[in-house]
Amino acid sequence: MRVVVAEDLYLLREGLVRLLEAHGFEIAGAVGDAPALLGALLAERPEVAIVDVRLPPTFTDDGLRAAIEARRAVPGLPVLVLSQYVEQLYARELLADNAGGVGYLLKDRVFNDDQFVDAIERVAAGGTVMDPAVVTKLLGRPARQEPLARLSGREREVLELMAEGRSNSAIAQRLFVTEKAVSKHSSSIFAKLDLAPSDDDNRRVLAVLAYLNG
Amino acid sequence: MVGLKQVVAVVTAKPPRIPIPQIQQSTAPAVYILLAVVLVCAGLAAWLWIRRADSARARQGRSRQAAWCIALVVVAAMLATTLYSILRRHPIVCGPGELNCPKTGGISVPMWLLLLIPAAVLLVLAVKRHLAARIVPAALIVLGLLGFALVQRYGYDSGGALLQTGHGTGLIWYGLTGIPGVMVANTGAAGRLDQGSGAVILAQAYLFVLLGGWLGWRELRDHPVAARLLLGKMAPGEASGRPWGLLVLPLILALSVLSAWPWWSVPVLVIAVLVIRSWPRLAGQLAAAGMVAFGLLGLVAAQGWYLNSRGTFVVVPGSAAKLTESYPLYGLATVTSEASRFAAELEGVILIGLGCWLVPQTFPVVGRLLGLNHAVELTERVQRLTDSRADAVDTAAANLRRLERDLHDGAQARLVALGMSLRAAERLITVNPDAALALVAEAREASARALTELRELVRGVYPPVLADRGLPDALRALALDGPLHVETRIDLDGRLPGPVETACYFAVAELLTNAAKHSGARQARIDASHSAGRLRIEVTDFGLGGANPAAGSGLAGVEKRLATFDGIMAISSPAGGPTIVVLEVPCVLSSPKTSTC
Repeated sequence: MRVVVAEDLYLLREGLVRLLEAHGFEIAGAVGDAPALLGALLAERPEVAIVDVRLPPTFTDDGLRAAIEARRAVPGLPVLVLSQYVEQLYARELLADNAGGVGYLLKDRVFNDDQFVDAIERVAAGGTVMDPAVVTKLLGRPARQEPLARLSGREREVLELMAEGRSNSAIAQRLFVTEKAVSKHSSSIFAKLDLAPSDDDNRRVLAVLAYLNG
Repeated sequence: MVGLKQVVAVVTAKPPRIPIPQIQQSTAPAVYILLAVVLVCAGLAAWLWIRRADSARARQGRSRQAAWCIALVVVAAMLATTLYSILRRHPIVCGPGELNCPKTGGISVPMWLLLLIPAAVLLVLAVKRHLAARIVPAALIVLGLLGFALVQRYGYDSGGALLQTGHGTGLIWYGLTGIPGVMVANTGAAGRLDQGSGAVILAQAYLFVLLGGWLGWRELRDHPVAARLLLGKMAPGEASGRPWGLLVLPLILALSVLSAWPWWSVPVLVIAVLVIRSWPRLAGQLAAAGMVAFGLLGLVAAQGWYLNSRGTFVVVPGSAAKLTESYPLYGLATVTSEASRFAAELEGVILIGLGCWLVPQTFPVVGRLLGLNHAVELTERVQRLTDSRADAVDTAAANLRRLERDLHDGAQARLVALGMSLRAAERLITVNPDAALALVAEAREASARALTELRELVRGVYPPVLADRGLPDALRALALDGPLHVETRIDLDGRLPGPVETACYFAVAELLTNAAKHSGARQARIDASHSAGRLRIEVTDFGLGGANPAAGSGLAGVEKRLATFDGIMAISSPAGGPTIVVLEVPCVLSSPKTSTC
């Protein structure tokens, strides 16, 4: 799988490249600033991009903005954004185009390389991966929107795990239920959120989006 | 001329010139020589004493104390010579009507009592040197009051007639000068002060009283009890208005002297002290108005006097001059001649001028009308800046301490543990690979926890989203983060100055936390806009209301934080809600940053 990596700290960039190569990824480009990232994304059209939020030249959210701009040019270009901190605001901006293929993780998640590689693969496949830290924050708030308030406790749990980008089988494993039960819960969620039956992946993204906007 | 005679009362004829005997003129040099010897001895003793101090700090302390001690010697010498010359002339045991005291030489008060003064001074110097600083101001005031009494005793009456009589001959010694004019007539029946001598005594008397008052105030204002008595419950900001209020005291003193110490002078002085204590602003205004009034009084009084064609001083009946009829001591001038009338008028004009200068300082309305009160505004601003700077410094220091503690107990400790786990794993890796594996996993956990803690710490120091996006998006992020459902209506294009953004961000964060904790609200709203050079942020929660800024430190902290930027906070929180907190900070909005990538 062809990957573009954008990270300004040399050691971290090399570490990421080595980790990805060890898991059989092909490095299409490893860049250190936002303009180079945008150029690489548009020229190389990688299967997935791994992007640090804070990049030169302004050392603010250049990486995020470059990723969003590239996705505007190439809709659905899979991007996994890494950051030292997570903001719901940024999560929403990434999800705003409803195209899927988005991930947003804390940098520490790289420590667990199996989960990290799993997340990359799911983003590349068009899924949505949100960091548990984003999801946990949402948990603390009472649901205000009508459709979300209609969800049962178990359905909310399923939706949370869905937001973390887990597949039905992973969710089943986590909640100690059968995969069938999970798919029953998820179709109930889709129904309650008024998501018309269509491509399942897209519906999952929309459900997560509704959840985040809650 | 007949009409004039009806209106004008001729008081009395000009007194005859009294020949001044030369007998005791020579005592003055003797007194000065004595004083010089005492001073030189005291100075020498002080110098030796200071030299023996073992540190620079102690030397400084001793120099200060020695200065007060020398001042005490000088003041005591002045007091002793003054009392001596008065007592010699006015034996206390003689009745007021007795012009010639039957006792020979007129010394009926045992003069040796005066020796108590040098004895007391020596005692203080030997045992309680630190008291010198307290005694000197009091002694100066006593000396000044003696001067007023002296002038009144020997002063002219309205017609220039002799007021008091004494007997014996010689100098009167007052303060630093021997007054040759205070002579007793050859007849042994009467003595008087001439114009110049009276002015010299009066000038010294005012100087002593004011100097004593000022030194006493300086000495006592830091004393806890005295400060409470003098300053009352005045806030530090009001202290700048106080010095003007203190001017009321010499004014009352001058009026009392002018009116020959009427019965009301003591209660009026007490009331004045109370007013200065409790309403310093009012006292300042009274001082300004009083100065103008007293100056006008001097002009009017001087107008009441004039020399008639026969060279006689006359007074218009019923005029303000009545006030000065018996004791014509107007401030520093004794109004008894054409020249002294001019002196009184000059004094009046100067007082009116000073009063007019003081009016805009003490009546801010007048100052604003005339556009003159820059000084007052600047003083208030300096006070505000001093306060807010102190708060800012305190907050910064407290934040640094908290940061240090958090790093020390959190990330640093975890890194130490991490190193230890790795070292243990290193040793176990060949012997017991399973245990080593467990340790490495533990180390990874520890590093993840250290990262989490660092992340929280960074967010508290400077939220990354604020660094990335500026205040508008940081506020939106804040709205998303908390447990409340927060609506945002933000109308800010461009970046604000960094420190203002940070202060406002933390202020809003504090307000939202408060709302979530105490108001019971589930919804809140943030409105932010910028107009006319002011950033305005409104945080509204739809909770119970009844927020009280005085109760908790949170809201007061927000106010202090904003005060550093001249910002203000206003709260409306009726019982039943909603609570609206408005923050306003003057600042400029720079043009929006354009994306470069």
